[in-house]
Amino acid sequence: MRPLPFPFARPEWPASLPRPVPERRVGLDYDHAWSRRYAVRLARAMLLDNVTRPVARLVAPTTVRGAEVLTHVTPPVIFAANHASHLDTPLLLTTLPVRFRHRTVVAAAADYFFDRRWKAIVWSFSLAAVPIERARVNRRSADVAAALIEEGWNLVIFPEGGRSRDGWAQPFRGGAAYLARRTGRPVVPVHVRGTRHVLPRGGGPRMPRRSPVSVVFGSPLSPAEGEDARRFAARIERSVAVLADEASSDWWSARVRAARAATPSLRGPEVSAWRRAWALGPRPKDGRDAWPRV
Amino acid sequence: MKTLVFERNLARFAASRLASNFGSGRAAGIGPLRLVEAEPPELPSTEWRRVTPRLSGICGSDLATLDGRSSRYFEHLVSFPFVPGHEVVGELETGARIVLEPVLGCATRALDPPCAACRRGMHGDCERTAFGRLAPGIQTGYCADTGGGWSHAGLVAHPSQLHPVPDSFSDEDAVMVEPVACACHAVCDAQLRGTETVAVLGAGTLGLAVVAALSALSASGRVPGAAAVLVGAKYSHQRRLAVELGATAAIGPDQLGRAVRRRSGSLALAEPRASAGPGPLTGGADVVFDCVGSSSSIAQSLEMVRPRGRVVLVGMPGRVHVDLAPLWQREVRLAGAYAYGTEVVGPPDGRPPDGRPVDGRPPDGGPAESVGTFALAFAVVAAHRLGRLVSATYPIDRFEEAIAHAGAAGRRGAVKIAFDLRGTRDRRAAPSGRQSTGGTP
Amino acid sequence: MTPRPGLVLEVDRSTPPTLFWHGERFVLERLPEGSRIVYAPEPLDPLEDPVGAIRHALLHPIGDRDPLPALLRPGMRLTICFDDVSLPLPPMRAPDVRQLVIEQVLEMAAAAGVDDVVLVAALALHRRMTEAELRHALGDRVYDAFAPLGLLTQHDAEDPDNLVHLGTTERGEDVEINRRAATSDLVVYVNINLVAMDGGHKSVATGLASYRSLRHHHNPRTMVHSRSFMDAPSSELHSSNWRMGRLIAESGIKVFQIETTLNTDTFPRQFAFLQRREWEWSVRDRAAFAATSAALERTPARLARQVFHSIRAPHALVSVQAGEVEAVHAVTTANVWRQQGVEVDGQTDILTMGLPYICPYNVNSIMNPVLVACLGLGYFFNLYRGRPLVREGGVVILHHPTPWEFHPGHHPSYIDFFEEVLSDTTDPVEMAKTYEESFATDPWYVHLYRTGHAYHGVHPFYMWYWCAHALDHLGRVIVVGGDPAAVRRMGFSPASRLDDALEMASDVVGRSPTLTHIHTPPLLMADVR
Repeated sequence: MRPLPFPFARPEWPASLPRPVPERRVGLDYDHAWSRRYAVRLARAMLLDNVTRPVARLVAPTTVRGAEVLTHVTPPVIFAANHASHLDTPLLLTTLPVRFRHRTVVAAAADYFFDRRWKAIVWSFSLAAVPIERARVNRRSADVAAALIEEGWNLVIFPEGGRSRDGWAQPFRGGAAYLARRTGRPVVPVHVRGTRHVLPRGGGPRMPRRSPVSVVFGSPLSPAEGEDARRFAARIERSVAVLADEASSDWWSARVRAARAATPSLRGPEVSAWRRAWALGPRPKDGRDAWPRV
Repeated sequence: MKTLVFERNLARFAASRLASNFGSGRAAGIGPLRLVEAEPPELPSTEWRRVTPRLSGICGSDLATLDGRSSRYFEHLVSFPFVPGHEVVGELETGARIVLEPVLGCATRALDPPCAACRRGMHGDCERTAFGRLAPGIQTGYCADTGGGWSHAGLVAHPSQLHPVPDSFSDEDAVMVEPVACACHAVCDAQLRGTETVAVLGAGTLGLAVVAALSALSASGRVPGAAAVLVGAKYSHQRRLAVELGATAAIGPDQLGRAVRRRSGSLALAEPRASAGPGPLTGGADVVFDCVGSSSSIAQSLEMVRPRGRVVLVGMPGRVHVDLAPLWQREVRLAGAYAYGTEVVGPPDGRPPDGRPVDGRPPDGGPAESVGTFALAFAVVAAHRLGRLVSATYPIDRFEEAIAHAGAAGRRGAVKIAFDLRGTRDRRAAPSGRQSTGGTP
Repeated sequence: MTPRPGLVLEVDRSTPPTLFWHGERFVLERLPEGSRIVYAPEPLDPLEDPVGAIRHALLHPIGDRDPLPALLRPGMRLTICFDDVSLPLPPMRAPDVRQLVIEQVLEMAAAAGVDDVVLVAALALHRRMTEAELRHALGDRVYDAFAPLGLLTQHDAEDPDNLVHLGTTERGEDVEINRRAATSDLVVYVNINLVAMDGGHKSVATGLASYRSLRHHHNPRTMVHSRSFMDAPSSELHSSNWRMGRLIAESGIKVFQIETTLNTDTFPRQFAFLQRREWEWSVRDRAAFAATSAALERTPARLARQVFHSIRAPHALVSVQAGEVEAVHAVTTANVWRQQGVEVDGQTDILTMGLPYICPYNVNSIMNPVLVACLGLGYFFNLYRGRPLVREGGVVILHHPTPWEFHPGHHPSYIDFFEEVLSDTTDPVEMAKTYEESFATDPWYVHLYRTGHAYHGVHPFYMWYWCAHALDHLGRVIVVGGDPAAVRRMGFSPASRLDDALEMASDVVGRSPTLTHIHTPPLLMADVR
């Protein structure tokens, strides 16, 4: 087919005239305020409840513990969770009680989720994601996040800064702690376990593999007098570790070990790579086979 | 006298084109070819001679023309109405047997001085085949003025077109000389040096002729020949004949790629596939003779030829659709080989052509001589007794059956089909010839 | 109920027809009166606590070896090698025995603080295993801990950087094995002894070797003089491997061999009739047979093949022993005979066998005609100790459709072997002389072996050499129901029915020959007196 002539096709810019550089607003510059307008929030709520939630449950049968902690907590709060898989965000959002769920934004890495315009649109719509800088401390990210919290939005943030590489957590950074100090709102620690089996890190698009998942909420933490962000971040990490211990054993033994400061670290043993992987333990049994074994 | 005439008739053309979709050669009855009563053609000048055909072969290009599948390129190189038939062994008025060299070059068209090609003896490349005293026509059998082989009325021939037939030749041997000459020309043109691996795609008349030419010409020292000749033949009788005529191995066409890969020790690019061959090779055969001429055979040839190798199209192709990226990337030479003329070859070393190959002697190892292609063809036919490739003959009133048989020759276990124009009274049994029994293979 | 030993049945008029395997189908054939049918022993009872038994074996080794925890210390190089996808047959239900053993070994390694651990699949010249096959053999936990880190490797016999030449034996046989194994402080080999040919020094000396090593015993002369290769003391193949294994031990490579034997519980419940004696078939068995046969006749070949290759056998662990190679192997062999041994009186003129859809070299793949010959004339013919089941100059009748079909990804060199080599000669010695070298060094086959999932270019030759003893010993080989062109290409005679085959056999063995049929799978070993 022959190309259409002007005026039916877009004109070319004459070579002799200087052409202004079109501005692309992506990454941290992305303007995400539109995703918090009422109509968009409504659409997102319907998507989360009617599509994302059932699909997530289908792909990852979830056990939720500790949700009763949240009945006495007033929004806005900051949810700090460990991060193992891209499934964590939708799972967490759909596990939150309703009064939190539809007024929550998620802090997402600007360089990964907002580098292209279409990605920015998709994630800010479906998950209410806001871009933050994860490599360095960035004043603007912090200001944007603090402003949102002060407006009454809950924030979901992954203090590790990225998904775990080998199944064990990376050291928790100070972002959640800093925001808590600055806005005066509490941090609710959350431990998510098992998502790394459902949608593992790495590899191209692949089918999620059905596997059980557990989400545990802990009591909210507030920074103590004079506790700086770094110490507070370590305290958040320890409480997530206690929640992990609770998920693998039971609440009482976890409490006992926490009291004795004997909680196993989230970061895993300091040994060679295969032994760290070995210490993760076996994949959880689904208990049901899809097809009968012949 | 009974003659088969090809007339320009669009409706019949279209009908034959349609019918040929169901198989080559099925269209003969409804196509533009008709059996009529005709008078012998006029002699264009006193030096021309009248030839009464004895046997006239049916060639792949005839079939393509009858199916309406030949290229429109030939539109200006033929003149209607014409009598087909260019593979002719016939009789002069004196009773002497001759084989016709059908190309109508400058000499036949009374054009003086001759064109550059005719001056060099390369009559097949003549530039004036549509000009001069005769109507346009590349060969006898495509020209309105000369008549053709498929007729009892006979044809007229210029002295330069006549080659005497030795007494030891049967009529069947003689009718094979023209197609073998095409093969000899293709082989000589490929300029082999004796060390090459050669693949031949297609083992119909032309493919088998190429194999025969390779072995006979190298055995007699004319041409260095090839180190190995691998033939892709669809039918078992073709494979058997190919090996008898001197091929190193004859295999099914889908296994030919594997055999070439093994012999050349090259790698294959694609993942191994189930029935089709190994796909494009990184190395391959040095020369591939494509005696089929379809899109898939040319594609297959390009897959199995080595970089800077040579693919020779021996049979007439139609309009084909070929991906030329492999040709460009591997610097392959794609050459056509048409008709015949004069070849530059080594002298015969006096050894009887019993098929023993000469060890890769390069052409500059001895004095070269210019020999007419037909002379080489006679030698090859004699060496291999190629008259046995004529599988069946038909009288021209059964032309529909003959052409259908020729179109399905491979499947029906045949190689060459010819028309038998000898009258009953002089149907004599020639030495080592076969009695023509009209339609029996 | 204690499992019953094997049985040699004498066929009479009241014997029901016998089940013959026929590739991806089974048929019922009536054998002539007076024939013998050799039935395998019933599957032995499995160990009640396989994991406990494995731990016990690791802590109480046989022969001159310390318990495994004593051999493990921090900072050492440990290599764990395991048998590849050709064992067991059919593939067993999860959890695979290798998974159980390797998990116990790794627990001990983790407890001892060993950091440098590499797992090597001992393929020799077999094809590489796919991810699914590795996960099946090792379990998800081991796979996920080692594969993403690149610590799970498959032996590459064509990688010069990964091979070490250790020397030559007293008979001039090169010993060249995997570099990682050769430079480790301890090599733990996890073996499954399905038939008596496996295990012992053959595990390391063949499984981790290169072509340069293998051609010293994988050749026609050695195979003809292995009578049989299932009986190590009488096998030239094993003598050579033992020499190589001793050289490996003398070079300072410490091997901790763990050998296991499985019972012959080969078919799951739905196909239980395949391992029951025909006169003991219950109503359910007969119904299952009828339904399955009818369904298979209407199923296209590809689908039938997929169904069969997805069968997981309920093999269970019967014995496990660990420690020094030769001591362990003696115990293992005794255990194999305990499960599979049948006493057979005297030889026979005609031996018949129904060939199933699977052999060690076409797991999840197509059984091409060369593999049919290898299974019948290689493996099944050699399931004996003492004398072959069939007399010298006798006839073997195989029952298999032998489709002229090859898997282009797994068996590329087989296609050229079948077209080029077998159409020229079927004599193993001839083909070794003329063609073996060019196939072994062909760069495309090497490329496909190293990067794809293809058997090595020389492998089809080994399949043919496996038949060398049979080809030397027999008068004629007849294939019932096979593709005639394929059967003739291999130099055998095609027959369309068993009766015709018996007629053809009588030309060779006379008018009233004796006939024996081996009813296998399940596997058996004939002790012929």
